Amino acid sequence: MSADTIAAIATPPGRGGLGVVRLSGPAALVLAERLLGRRLEPRRASWAEFRDSAGALLDHVVATFFPGPRSATGEDVVEIAAHGSPVLLQALLEAALAAGARLADPGEYTRRAFLNGRIDLAQAEAIADLIAAHTLHQARSAARQMGGSVARLLRPAHERLTHLIARLEAGIDFAEDDVTVLADDALAAAIGGVEAELQTLAAGFEHARALREGLTVALVGRPNVGKSSLFNRLLERERAIVTAEPGTTRDLVEDSLDWDGLAVRLRDTAGIRPPAGEAERLGIERSWQAAADADFVLAVCDASQPPGPEDRALLDRLQALPRALLVRNKADLPPAPAWDAPEWNGAVTPLVVSARTGAGLDALRRAVRAAALPPAGAESDAITNLRHARQIALARDHLARAAAAAGVPHEALLVDLYEALHALDAITGQTTVEDILGVIFSTFCIGK
Amino acid sequence: MAAAQAYDVAIVGGGHAGVEAARAAARMGLRTALFTLNPELIAQMPCNPAIGGIAKGHLVREVDALGGLMGEATDAVGIQFRLLNTSRGPAVWSPRAQADKKLYRQQVRAMLAEEPNLAICAAEVGGLDVEALPGGLRRVRGVRLRDGATVAAAAVVITTGTFLNGLIHVGETTYPAGRRGEPAAHLLGESLKLLGFACGRLKTGTPPRLDAKTIDWSQFEPQPGDAEPTPFSFLTPRIQRDQVLCYSTFTNAGTHAAVRANLHRSPLYSGQIAGVGPRYCPSIEDKVVKFPAKERHQIFLEPEGLDTDEIYLNGMSSSMPADVQAAMVASIPGLERATMLRPGYAIEYDFVQPTELRATLETKAIAGLFLGGQINGTSGYEEAACQGLMAGINAALQVKGAPPLVLSRTEAYTGILVDDLIARGADEPYRMFTSRAEFRLHLRIDNADLRLTPFGRRIGLVTDDRWRRFEAKRARQEAVEALLRNERRPGDPLPAAQMLKRPEVLLTAYVPWLRQRLPEVAAAQERDDPAGWELKTVETAIKFEGYLAQQRRHMEQLREAEGKTIPESFDYDALPGLSREMQQKLGRVRPATLGQASRIPGVTPAALSLLLVHLELRRRAAAQ
Repeated sequence: MSADTIAAIATPPGRGGLGVVRLSGPAALVLAERLLGRRLEPRRASWAEFRDSAGALLDHVVATFFPGPRSATGEDVVEIAAHGSPVLLQALLEAALAAGARLADPGEYTRRAFLNGRIDLAQAEAIADLIAAHTLHQARSAARQMGGSVARLLRPAHERLTHLIARLEAGIDFAEDDVTVLADDALAAAIGGVEAELQTLAAGFEHARALREGLTVALVGRPNVGKSSLFNRLLERERAIVTAEPGTTRDLVEDSLDWDGLAVRLRDTAGIRPPAGEAERLGIERSWQAAADADFVLAVCDASQPPGPEDRALLDRLQALPRALLVRNKADLPPAPAWDAPEWNGAVTPLVVSARTGAGLDALRRAVRAAALPPAGAESDAITNLRHARQIALARDHLARAAAAAGVPHEALLVDLYEALHALDAITGQTTVEDILGVIFSTFCIGK
Repeated sequence: MAAAQAYDVAIVGGGHAGVEAARAAARMGLRTALFTLNPELIAQMPCNPAIGGIAKGHLVREVDALGGLMGEATDAVGIQFRLLNTSRGPAVWSPRAQADKKLYRQQVRAMLAEEPNLAICAAEVGGLDVEALPGGLRRVRGVRLRDGATVAAAAVVITTGTFLNGLIHVGETTYPAGRRGEPAAHLLGESLKLLGFACGRLKTGTPPRLDAKTIDWSQFEPQPGDAEPTPFSFLTPRIQRDQVLCYSTFTNAGTHAAVRANLHRSPLYSGQIAGVGPRYCPSIEDKVVKFPAKERHQIFLEPEGLDTDEIYLNGMSSSMPADVQAAMVASIPGLERATMLRPGYAIEYDFVQPTELRATLETKAIAGLFLGGQINGTSGYEEAACQGLMAGINAALQVKGAPPLVLSRTEAYTGILVDDLIARGADEPYRMFTSRAEFRLHLRIDNADLRLTPFGRRIGLVTDDRWRRFEAKRARQEAVEALLRNERRPGDPLPAAQMLKRPEVLLTAYVPWLRQRLPEVAAAQERDDPAGWELKTVETAIKFEGYLAQQRRHMEQLREAEGKTIPESFDYDALPGLSREMQQKLGRVRPATLGQASRIPGVTPAALSLLLVHLELRRRAAAQ
């Protein structure tokens, strides 16, 4: 019986009606209950809510617990069925991993089922062939990775870590030779150097994921500055209710669009002003939340009206958020010159648009794309595979432990450094003792 | 020719591997013969006059814990003891001792003489008597001496060190030898090749010896031993002998110039030596060439014994011509007028690829034939001793019809050494390092007895006296640990074990309290273990609890993989989905377990996964 609990998306990739994330292993039930915040009964489908870490409801799901050994793998299994959007299933899987499951290797469910005797000999032979096919595929893709872009991305971190380990090992195994022991501050700096490399890769993964899953762009501003008109113009169809009466959009309105290959979820929000009633107060609160959650904020103002203290307060607050752009709408009307003052514009060229005529919208799209996308060429250099991202996160956990360990002898510190190295090795291929010794012997003059 | 006499176990070679094998087999009650060219040179140290060192000291402790002789012999004749690496944690502390070479030989001879089952035979073994069994199997049934006589033996252990086709190089001069002044073993070397073993060629070297009377000692930095010498054997409470000084100095620009000016005469650089030498033990010419920016290299002057004037120039290993070595020596202040008693030399020798061996050190090709020590591609007295011991033990167990003793990587450096050899083979002389031990925190010198003495007892190597002392010690440690974990010292906010987790809190501060709470335990400990090692074990278990547990999880994974055995007849070529490359790698080593397969260089996780599934398929097919 396996000691660890694995998780994976069990349904084929692509958008289906329903998708399933499956957990298998001794902790499957505990992890699933923690994830869904409710108890599960054996062999009974239960409704549950799947919420993100901030508590926002992402989906209603159906979870079923199959106790081992009478389950598909022979172990405790929990299947969580969600509405089949790939992004949602991915989020569910990541939540399971964050709760402590390990991402299943390809073919691992089948292998566990087989090893736990849930499959008879005739079936097993067929499955062995299947695993063989998987294995060949795995070997081929591993070979690709070894010389491929992921290994290239990881090389600086991996090399730094290998050299740090070799340095510490030399100080232990060759203490009698002319090897100086790494001082505490140099050691901390070396761990920090590896961590910085990995941190860059992890950030690249998050960024690449944002691109894949689409960018949320929120239109935020005072009432009646033309947010909804802009929203509709960008969508090029009437969707939000547009009236001349301020405070019309009380709730969030969202739609998806494609800006030259960049998936965008555009959100219209309620105008922000001192609220007139309870319904509006709720709407305004949601606007702030939408602005905070968005990857990108378009702060819309009415350039035909002179700016006031409310505009100032609003913009100060919006500009504290990452990636906000000021959009001067209603360019079709005579402009109020006060908007040209430097305090409203900063270093960037102002985006002057007209929702009514469509003027300036191409420039707006270009500006969002330019700010959201990494510089040309960098995109292909991101870690995109969840498995790789998990291994990097694991390595960082161990580096953090090593960095936090004070007054610990190097051979103990090395326990975590090796775990970090092996986490990366799972992507790049095994680092052996001979590799470490090779670094030592080429770096230090060892031996008597 | 008729058999002269029959033995249960025959050992070929009386070096550090051979003597361990011989004593183990004899102590286990078997009629044992040790064949050696010259009984006067049994347990000779042809290289440095020292035992132990980092990781090597661990091996000696393990040999001792199992009931071997190296630790006790060193304690008896050591002339300077140092515990190394004490600025690190206890897992990598390791003892080293300068030994009087002549006294060491005498000591080991005396220990062997106490074994009534052991015969020491001065004879050259030229070949093996091997019989073919049905089904293409072969089995050894004795050794053939140079004169043609056959000596029957149920098991044979070969521990011939550097003697197989040994060739010594001093500058342009080469001559066949096993060690300096001793003939090489050609007959046996050729005989092993004829039996079909994959052999390779390695190289090692040794520095010049100087005459102490001709050295100006005032020029050197004295290197004292420890004030409190740390013994190797668990049976030695205290080192009795007076300690001597060693000295250290450095090479200089003049030394390096002498090397550079004569590189064309160096057998290493002229292409005269084909064997691969150890990277961790380079000759002085190698150091100068490979690290040109280094202005000086440290060297040590170590006495070869108490009543000899021979000084070993540690760090100056060389195979340069004698006149160049003399110039190198004379370039060092204090050695200007030193007489070189013997020049250093390099020696090339045959070894058998250890992938030919099982984990018991029995050859896969010939049943009953075991190999131990340098013949398996290792270097060092300590590496030889632990293999000799394991080969002797397993030869004896086989003759007795008892199950073999195989130590795991989770249990002993000895297990790591054997596992590395049989899974990876040797492409340079193999030396032990603590970095080879993935569970290093668990494999310490202080707990070698806890790890291994029960095995030694089970196979009959641990005497009643040692066992009684071991059990008493273990009981004391358990009593101390229970007290520390469960009770609070007056004035402490937490139980003692919790307090000890703080880096600045040491167990020595709790000794007065232990004396008060456990007076009998403390008194017995102070009598049997004056240095307090058994308390150190308890302290380490508490202080490093988190890291020890972290390693233990991986140890369990490894044990699980070791539990999945692969039949020797497994046909890798018939495994669908396994690439040609994997078939070759696995087929060459024929690993005994899935764990061993995972340590063959280049074998992928995917291949292991496939192997696991097919092992299970076979198991089920067999069950039906």
